[in-house]
Amino acid sequence: MRGKSWRIAIALFVVLLAPGCGERPEATAEPSPVGGPALIRRLTESQYRHTLADLFGPEAPVVARFERELRAHGLIAAGTSEAGISAFAMEQYDAAARALADYLLAPERRAAYLPCTPRAEVAFDADCAARFVARWGERLFRRPLTEAQVARYVDAARTAAATLGDFHEGLEYALVGLLIAPQFLLRIEHVEPDPARPGGYRLDPWSRAERLAFFLTDSTPDEALLAAAASGELDTPEGLARQVDRLMGLARFEDAVRAFFRDMLEFDRFADLAKDAQIYPAWTPEVALDAQEQTLRDLVWHLVREGGDYRDLFVLGETHMTRALGVLYRQPVPPRQGFARIPLSHDGSRLGIQSHLSFLALHAHPGRSSPTLRGKAIREIFLCQEVPDPPPNVNFSLVQEGPGARPTARERLAAHNTEPACAGCHKVMDPVGLALENYDGAGIFRREENGAPIDASGFLDGTAYEDAAGLARALRDHPETPRCLVEKLYRFAVGRDTVWGERAYLDWLVEAFARAGYRVPELMRTIALSEQFFAIAPPAERRWAARTVTLEEDRP
Amino acid sequence: MIRTLTALAALSLAAGASAAEAPDFVRDGRAGFVVSHIAYALGPDAEQAGTCPRGMTRNYHEIYAATPEGRRRPGESDEAYQERLDAGARRLASGPGGESYCLHPELAPPDPWYRTVERSDVPVPGIDLDGRADPDDFPSPEGEPGVDNQFYRAVGCNRSYQSSGSSNRFNISMLTGSWGILFLLEGVDDLREDPEVRVHFYANGDPIRLSPKREPLAYASYAPKREPRFHAVANGRIEGGMLRTEPVDMLFQNEVNSMYLDRPLRDGRLVAEIGSDGRLQGFLAGYTPVEEMYDMQFGYRDGRTRKGELAPERLRLHTAFGAAFVLGHTCHGAWQALHRLADGHPDPDGRFTTISTQYRIEAIPAFVIPPEEVAP
Repeated sequence: MRGKSWRIAIALFVVLLAPGCGERPEATAEPSPVGGPALIRRLTESQYRHTLADLFGPEAPVVARFERELRAHGLIAAGTSEAGISAFAMEQYDAAARALADYLLAPERRAAYLPCTPRAEVAFDADCAARFVARWGERLFRRPLTEAQVARYVDAARTAAATLGDFHEGLEYALVGLLIAPQFLLRIEHVEPDPARPGGYRLDPWSRAERLAFFLTDSTPDEALLAAAASGELDTPEGLARQVDRLMGLARFEDAVRAFFRDMLEFDRFADLAKDAQIYPAWTPEVALDAQEQTLRDLVWHLVREGGDYRDLFVLGETHMTRALGVLYRQPVPPRQGFARIPLSHDGSRLGIQSHLSFLALHAHPGRSSPTLRGKAIREIFLCQEVPDPPPNVNFSLVQEGPGARPTARERLAAHNTEPACAGCHKVMDPVGLALENYDGAGIFRREENGAPIDASGFLDGTAYEDAAGLARALRDHPETPRCLVEKLYRFAVGRDTVWGERAYLDWLVEAFARAGYRVPELMRTIALSEQFFAIAPPAERRWAARTVTLEEDRP
Repeated sequence: MIRTLTALAALSLAAGASAAEAPDFVRDGRAGFVVSHIAYALGPDAEQAGTCPRGMTRNYHEIYAATPEGRRRPGESDEAYQERLDAGARRLASGPGGESYCLHPELAPPDPWYRTVERSDVPVPGIDLDGRADPDDFPSPEGEPGVDNQFYRAVGCNRSYQSSGSSNRFNISMLTGSWGILFLLEGVDDLREDPEVRVHFYANGDPIRLSPKREPLAYASYAPKREPRFHAVANGRIEGGMLRTEPVDMLFQNEVNSMYLDRPLRDGRLVAEIGSDGRLQGFLAGYTPVEEMYDMQFGYRDGRTRKGELAPERLRLHTAFGAAFVLGHTCHGAWQALHRLADGHPDPDGRFTTISTQYRIEAIPAFVIPPEEVAP
């Protein structure tokens, strides 16, 4: 619960007292960085896949089933600094590493990956092995290997080559070692004194490059970024800006935006999403995949390609749609294959990403809608207002009863909320979720529930509305909407929850976001260029115990 | 008759929408449908109605087995007898020069074992196509006279066309995506009463979209086949929710054993009720050219590949001969019956060239993209 209570308190303060919503504050300087802890973060599945694709080509196989990722503080990105690696996961990494090494060093392919030609096929060529290990080790570990590290993997290659009677099989063995090493699977951040802040700390150049790359490309640092780290270019504001702008110009930048929103919108939960085929026959695995892609395409289109205002995501009337989705949206989709850009609804009633199937179906039950789940999701995902879990002894019988005296969810919830233990939280969630009751558990529009007309009116923190379109506008104009995005994006970038000392920095980011017209790429650039992004709190001031790890082979 | 269909179809309602929802597919005066079920509208089973007093139609094997030469010999093994039956059946299915009667039914002698429905007093579903109550017309199950359904007469004594048979399940290949039928109504002001609508009939260019339980889904998008020969349009009207169109020649497709065959309908018309949930149920009826009817149901002489090339002769021949064995008819017997019972479109010599055909159809709401709006 760290940080939750003050976040809600500030949210209410801003809602009630913030003056001049339309005013743009003057630019101010970044507050002095307070820093956070150096972290060890596990690569996410998409980072792992992107890294291997970038290093070895998109055809390189990734033969693994990834275990469920840990969500913490609302984000998987924050969970990466709290998650461990299970024995099952290690088996999968090992299998993936062996398959990849076998593929890369196959006779017809190995020339592209070897930096040298071995003197003989069988005899061990230590120089060539060392060059191979140094080259791919630096790319995989995201920093140059120490001599001890190189020697360790060359020794492994030598032993394997002697046993297997083949130099290349020895290299394959070494490559497997690199691919399952903690320095590859974990982002182990290294710290150095900050010359600009006597007594302060910051990430070393390689860890800075790593943070930049994963934040702005969802992948490993490329050669140019590693070179910038080596040359000291990242130590200067100008050099850092050059690299940030270069990374944001890459195609991979869209992958980074996608990675953030996939995390924020909790799309990992689609892996567990089930719908009753009897009730929702149009819900198929194809729809589940297309629904996620639809939202991500809209996000990238609006935020990156169109340079749109983040808040307008909640009132967008156009979308990308496939024919599979068109069945549920009741919209014609002319192209036979792929996505077409068309209106979300024929009458303009459906607006924004919160009216997408990816939101409505994900936050509903297998056989019915859920104003409570949807209201909770809107509060937590888009407004960063956390709602407690229900008490353990809650009586769900009233909300689960069949149609009869209470045909609509509104009526059933009203009866349920007469229980004092439930009423408090439901007052926060239900008025928001009930606005989406015109969409059933699969997200299909409906006017009635069990033959009774649906009342979709409600209010959101003082703003009343009549229907889902009204909720869309209220969400767009809610002062917490941009602040929440800023907080989540920063948490995503640094891989942890925010701490009290970062409030001034976050306020500054919110102001910068507003000044930039709520453009998300500009916000990402601001974060990437800020001192706080790389700052590390002095050991005595770290709120969390510093987790310093020195692996055996890292020692000089 | 429509009421009966409505009740039956309501039991099998399966779509992306619940039955109670108002139609949400009429956009800019357009209402599209995809056919979700189609079958020949046939009369009662022979055993139930006594329509085949001289027995059922025989296939080549059964005809041969009934001859003295075809009887099983004492001590003859199962395998040996089956081989002899197969050889005898092949001889019956071939002319003196070895030509196949399935590919060349016009060369064959009359088949005395092919049976047809000779009575006209049994109720048969369908509509009156010619506005007359002729002696060979049937009464409808509701007692209305004048139902033109000579195709039923031609196949009513074939065991595969009984309700338990397999010949009337050709919509399976529609559900696997091989072919399909689209209707697009234009100028729709009111789905209950509209004196003037335009109705387009298209062969579907897309596979039908199904639920995980393999049931057609409403509100899917489809585009017609590009070739203009698969496009037809007729005027129509809606009275009390009943859609009736003027006659027009239309062409759809059929698929058997990976061979594509034309399914034409001369002077075809649609008479169907539009339900409150947008479901359309009724009859698609008209006259099928006899030679095309023979090809798509019995002979497969014009079976073509997906590219439009004539399928290998071996495939066409084996499909026809195999179908005759499995379904219980002879190729030439079917061809002769179709010609004998033809009742439409006489040629200059006065010989009828088409046979009245009635399809029972159900269609569900769909977004039909008109050909001119489909991206190339």
